[in-house]
Formats: sequence, C-alpha cells, structure tokens
Amino acid sequence: MTCFSAKRKTSAYVDGRLRPAERAQLTAHYEECQTCSAYLHEVRSLVSGLHQLEPPGLPLLLSTRLRVIASRECASVLNSQGSRLMHAWNRWKLELDELMRALTIPATGGLISSIILFACLAVSITQTARGVAYEVPVMMEDHTDANLIPVDMRSSVVLTISLDDKGHIQDYSIRDGANSYMGNTARLASNSISLPQFPTVLTMAQPITGDIRISLTPVVFRP
Amino acid sequence: MARTGNLSILASAQEGVPEEDARILRGLRAGIESAYEDLLERFQQPVYGVVLRLLGSSSDAGDVVQDVFVKVFRNVHSFREQSSLRTWIYRIAVNEAHNHRRWAFRHCRNEVSLEAERDEDRQRFDPPADPSMSPYRQALDSETRVLIEQALTRINPTFRTAVVLRDIENLSYEEIAEILQISLGTVKSRILRGREALRRELAQRVNPDFAQAFT
Repeated sequence: MTCFSAKRKTSAYVDGRLRPAERAQLTAHYEECQTCSAYLHEVRSLVSGLHQLEPPGLPLLLSTRLRVIASRECASVLNSQGSRLMHAWNRWKLELDELMRALTIPATGGLISSIILFACLAVSITQTARGVAYEVPVMMEDHTDANLIPVDMRSSVVLTISLDDKGHIQDYSIRDGANSYMGNTARLASNSISLPQFPTVLTMAQPITGDIRISLTPVVFRP
Repeated sequence: MARTGNLSILASAQEGVPEEDARILRGLRAGIESAYEDLLERFQQPVYGVVLRLLGSSSDAGDVVQDVFVKVFRNVHSFREQSSLRTWIYRIAVNEAHNHRRWAFRHCRNEVSLEAERDEDRQRFDPPADPSMSPYRQALDSETRVLIEQALTRINPTFRTAVVLRDIENLSYEEIAEILQISLGTVKSRILRGREALRRELAQRVNPDFAQAFT
C-alpha cells in the first residue's frame, strides 16, 4: 500500500468504516511508515478535539421566541380542528392511545398465554370426563352371603390399595389391628363388583403408581 | 388537511420511527402543547449548535433556528415518517442554513461586520469553567476549543457540514447521507476532505507540532 492510498483511507480507518482485510493492511502500513503513523495520530487528535467541543449555549431570547412560535403554531392547529369539543375528543383519544400503548404488549402476552392454557385444559378435561366410569357394585343373588371384607370394623381399619401405572386397582389389603386380610380382585369381579379407577385429572400428568392407604375409624354414638 | 391529521392521530408508529418520536409526532398533529414543548426541549439545542457552526454567527443562527422550527411545526402533517424525526429536522436545519448563507452572500457581501460582534461570537462557544480543573488546563482547553471553532469557520461549507454532523453531532454516515441527500461514498469523501482541510488550517496556526495541543 502506498502512502497516498493510506492517507486517503485514514479518515475511514478512524471511523471504523473499512473492511477487516483492508483495515489489517492499513494497520500493517502504519506500523512500517512513521509519516503515515504521525498523520493517523493527527487525524485522531483532531477528531477527539471535535468530539470534546461543548454545545454552544442557547440564547435565552431565542428559547423564549421558540416557545412563542410553538404556542402560536399549536393554537393554529387547534383552530384548524374546529370546536373545543372536537379538540377535547381528539385529546382524549390521544391520551387513551398513549395509555393503551403501554399496556399493549403485556395484555397481548397475557391473552395469548390464557388462550393456550385454556385450550390445553379443555382437551384434558374432555378426556377425563370420558375416561372416568364409576359403577355401583351389584351383588349377584347367589353370592349374597359372600363376606368380601371379613373384618369386625370395631377399631381403626387401614385399607391399602395397590395401583398400576394406568390407575387400575391391582390388589388391596385390609388390616384391622393385629388381623389383616389380603383382598382378591378376581373374587370381586366374580361378584360383578367393578373397581374404581384413579385416573389423572390432566392428560399431561402421570397417574399415581404404588400404594394408597386409607384409614377408616368407626365413630360410636351413645344415646 | 387538518382532518387528515386528526384521523392519523391513532395511526400506529411505522417501523424505523422510534416510539418517542412517534409520540411527539402524534401530539404535534393533534395540537397537544406538551408535544411542542417536548420537541423544543429535545431539538432546540442541537439544531442551534449545528446551525451556528454552519453559519458562524449567533444572530443569523437565531433567525435560522426560528425558521427551522416554524417549518417543522407547519410541515409535520406531511412528514411521511420514512426517516427518523431527528434526521428530518436536521435536514431542514442544514437546508435552511445553506439557503441563508446563499442569501447572505448575495445581499450582505458588501457589508462590514462589527468587530465587537465578532468578538462576541468568538466567545459564544465557551462553556462554563470546570472548577475541578487547574486554571492552566482550563486556559489550554479553552484555547484549543476556540482554535478548532475558528478553523471550522474557515473551511469549505460543504465539507464543514459533513464534519460537523459526523464529529460534533456524532451522526452515522448513513444518517448524514440521508440528511444531505447524497450517497455514502460522497459522505465519506466529504468527511475525509473536511478533516484534511481542518487539519491544514490548524497546522498553519499552531505549527510546527499542532497535534500536541489536542492530546
């Protein structure tokens, strides 16, 4: 690169307006050439001096005149709008617009979030309503004497239900103090006793897997 | 015309116009006083600075700045918001300053300016002294500033405009191109030539090592 070419590009170099390759080439030239390096320093000092110039003070008289002009022009715009009522209406519309602009983004975001959330819930609620089917147990006539839960129920009884990953009852047991009884789901089925299911409320959630323990305590009323 | 302005009150701000600018524009079109005050508060100082540096006379600059704001207020309805409000106002200011300089060249070239006024103008750039600086440093800085300001008035107005917009007003090349309605290449060329002219002007005054005065 020649010194003439470097000098012509110095201004753009100071402003960072050169392509990286061109900039690297010029940097290499400045390292080699003392004259161009001194010129770069001068231009940088000049630009720095210009940056440091303070804004000139605005004359007070001019500031006052500008306010008078603004007031006159504002009155002219108001006159062109027609009646005071029309101006009040326009002003109210503008202020409402300013107010609404500040709320636009949060309100839109909230509305979209609500729509998405309720859409998800609507799907899951519909599926839950289809999936739940409780039936009232009915005893067959030939098994009326069947004792499905052979415990006295005189003291606190703990019912333990084992569920699979779909919420179906796999097994149950009853413990009455020292005595315990292992239930037989097949026996319930043979008596046409349908077992309740424990589905999830939301489709996106997982059903409870494992044991559910329910404690039943008899309450005795004395006359 | 006014009806069109009223209807556009609620028009949403277009892309490229900052929200603050759009708010001021809506207020100006609706005749809201606070919008006029906001516009003046934001632009009267920089516009005066640009015009003063382009013309070199505070009295002329005052007249031109008034004309600039009258034009801004009266043409705000026709501003299409394709550029920023700042760029638009600067464009009006630069055009008005150039028109005034041409008019003054034709009509006032035979007039002799008063020395007192020149001295007053020379002092107009002096900012308030910073008490934390030493008197020597203050004097040096003040002298440096006066030297640069004086040198600015001596270079070609076309190049001076580019240098003022770039190095004093800190506008980008793209904004300067938009204000002066010229290509980016021309902007680059004018800034280069303006700085070079300014450097030579200063070198003549503070020879042999003028750069020391700015470091």
